[in-house]
Amino acid sequence: MTPRSKSVFHALDRGLLCCASLLVPEMQRAEWRLEWESELWHARRSNGSSGEVSWRTEREIADFCFGAFQDAACLRCLCWRNRRRFALLHGSAAQCLFWLTGLLLVSYLFSILLPGVRAELDFSSAQMRPGSILILERGANGSVPTMAIDQVRIWERGRRRYFDGFAFYRVAAESVGFGAHAAGTWRIAEASSNLFAVAGWSQHYLAADQEPRREMQRLVLSELMWRNKFGANPDIVGTVLLVGSQPARVVGIAPGDAWRLPGNSDAWLLTPDSEISSSGRGYVVAHLTRRGRAEMWGGLVDIAFYDARRSEHDFLGKAFQEQTPGPANIYWFGVLLALLALPAIASVSLAEYSFSSHKPSRTLRAVRLGFLGLKVLLIMSIAWFSSVDLAYWHSPVSSPSGAYIQLVTCFAVFLFGMRWTLLDQRQRCPVCLRRVTNPAQVGLASRTFLAWNGTELICASGHTLLHIPGLPTSWFSTQRWLYLDTSWDFLFAGSGVK
Amino acid sequence: MAPEPKLSHTAAMILQAIDAGLIYGFGIMEMTGLPSGTVYPAMRRLERDKLICSRWERQSVADAEQRPPRKYYKLTAGGTAALRASRNRYPLLERMIPAEVKQS
Repeated sequence: MTPRSKSVFHALDRGLLCCASLLVPEMQRAEWRLEWESELWHARRSNGSSGEVSWRTEREIADFCFGAFQDAACLRCLCWRNRRRFALLHGSAAQCLFWLTGLLLVSYLFSILLPGVRAELDFSSAQMRPGSILILERGANGSVPTMAIDQVRIWERGRRRYFDGFAFYRVAAESVGFGAHAAGTWRIAEASSNLFAVAGWSQHYLAADQEPRREMQRLVLSELMWRNKFGANPDIVGTVLLVGSQPARVVGIAPGDAWRLPGNSDAWLLTPDSEISSSGRGYVVAHLTRRGRAEMWGGLVDIAFYDARRSEHDFLGKAFQEQTPGPANIYWFGVLLALLALPAIASVSLAEYSFSSHKPSRTLRAVRLGFLGLKVLLIMSIAWFSSVDLAYWHSPVSSPSGAYIQLVTCFAVFLFGMRWTLLDQRQRCPVCLRRVTNPAQVGLASRTFLAWNGTELICASGHTLLHIPGLPTSWFSTQRWLYLDTSWDFLFAGSGVK
Repeated sequence: MAPEPKLSHTAAMILQAIDAGLIYGFGIMEMTGLPSGTVYPAMRRLERDKLICSRWERQSVADAEQRPPRKYYKLTAGGTAALRASRNRYPLLERMIPAEVKQS
């Protein structure tokens, strides 16, 4: 090793000490740095007394310098413990809000950074087209195709005050081949070319130069099939598959939400309406004009049609927005369920009973309620972000499994979050919002009917004493606060907290 | 009477090393075999608990020997009492770091 490399190592060691010194409280930093520089000098002289420098020596000196980080961290901890303001923060409302905000930020950061979650949120906020409906014969449940293409043709020819687009599709099993290999039998939907435009769903990985080609039928794969059969490879777009005996070019991947179209299709073969045969029944997707949307009620719209013989045919339009609960709808549903279940696992009372007639001022009560409201808001936000994080970080966009995971997560986080919020609120001093501490067991359970028995907790600032009955009785069923007067001051004189 | 503080083995070794005349961090490291990340934080805590105290060497002394000044540590009265109690608790302490060791 050359003297030059020795000076490089020396600079590196000093750099380590410099970095570690940033952890040291500013008041002690200069002296700390001086001590470690001096110790480094002696360590270097002790290890390199022979004049030769080796890797082993340099590693030992580097190990010595790394210890400076632990020393600096220790000084920082000691400094924190000594600070009175940190002692004041312990158990305070500010500390509670700090941790909740931290959790919220972490869950929010995950929702920004995880690509699956980002895609889901982008999709649900941008891709829903209002006014897209599925038309069914009245009384049909949607799982059985009941509509004929001829009906669509009649509607398309007529006056269209309420609709500005119709699309038809019919599902049938077809054998599909890929190159020389048979990919199996798929459920292929022969669909109008404008199906995705009418439904308001954009296709993923749509190759622009593929769209104008009309010499070959166009095929849109479902996201599930694309993932399962082609390993989510975007290069599949543009390749030719054999559907039945006809070649068809893959022009895009349907969005994850397309699974909600009835028929459970694996792929959609886009065909002009005029080329779709009249035989067989299928499904009709339509888009309502503004006037049509005004006729909707609860996501449903009644459609009456009179044929040439003036006989009436009734249909029902179901909005896709209603059929496809996005993350926001699932979230609110989960929150509602959690609110309904909350009384089963925790008392919803805030138990602000007092031994005396003393009541905190209105301002104090408003602050206490505001604090509770803020905690509930933070818990709601955490439930939202954590549920979408867990549901969509690896599940395909808008997949059923993602929706179920989101519902369960949101329900659990909000339910137990609210339980904690209420329990926490009940143990906060009504005056300073600090958690009461120093629990003391008073009395004996066997003497409940003769004397008081339960737990007493005290506010560290000396405002209140909380009595929680060990066994709720008719005369002492819930916790009570005792507001401490000045005769208690001697207990808190030396604490330096009050 | 105040109860005697119970020290960890590491803290007791450091007190013993200081008592034996190893009065700066690197010397204690060499004698005890403990890494720097253990010795220096332990000394901070001992100083906080007033079992040891520190002072800086005079600049003129360091200049005369052409080296940077060092920070020296010594036991306080409380530290001496704590060390005495620790020797009863850890009988091998004196054998590990004999009292006659002096700094080089």
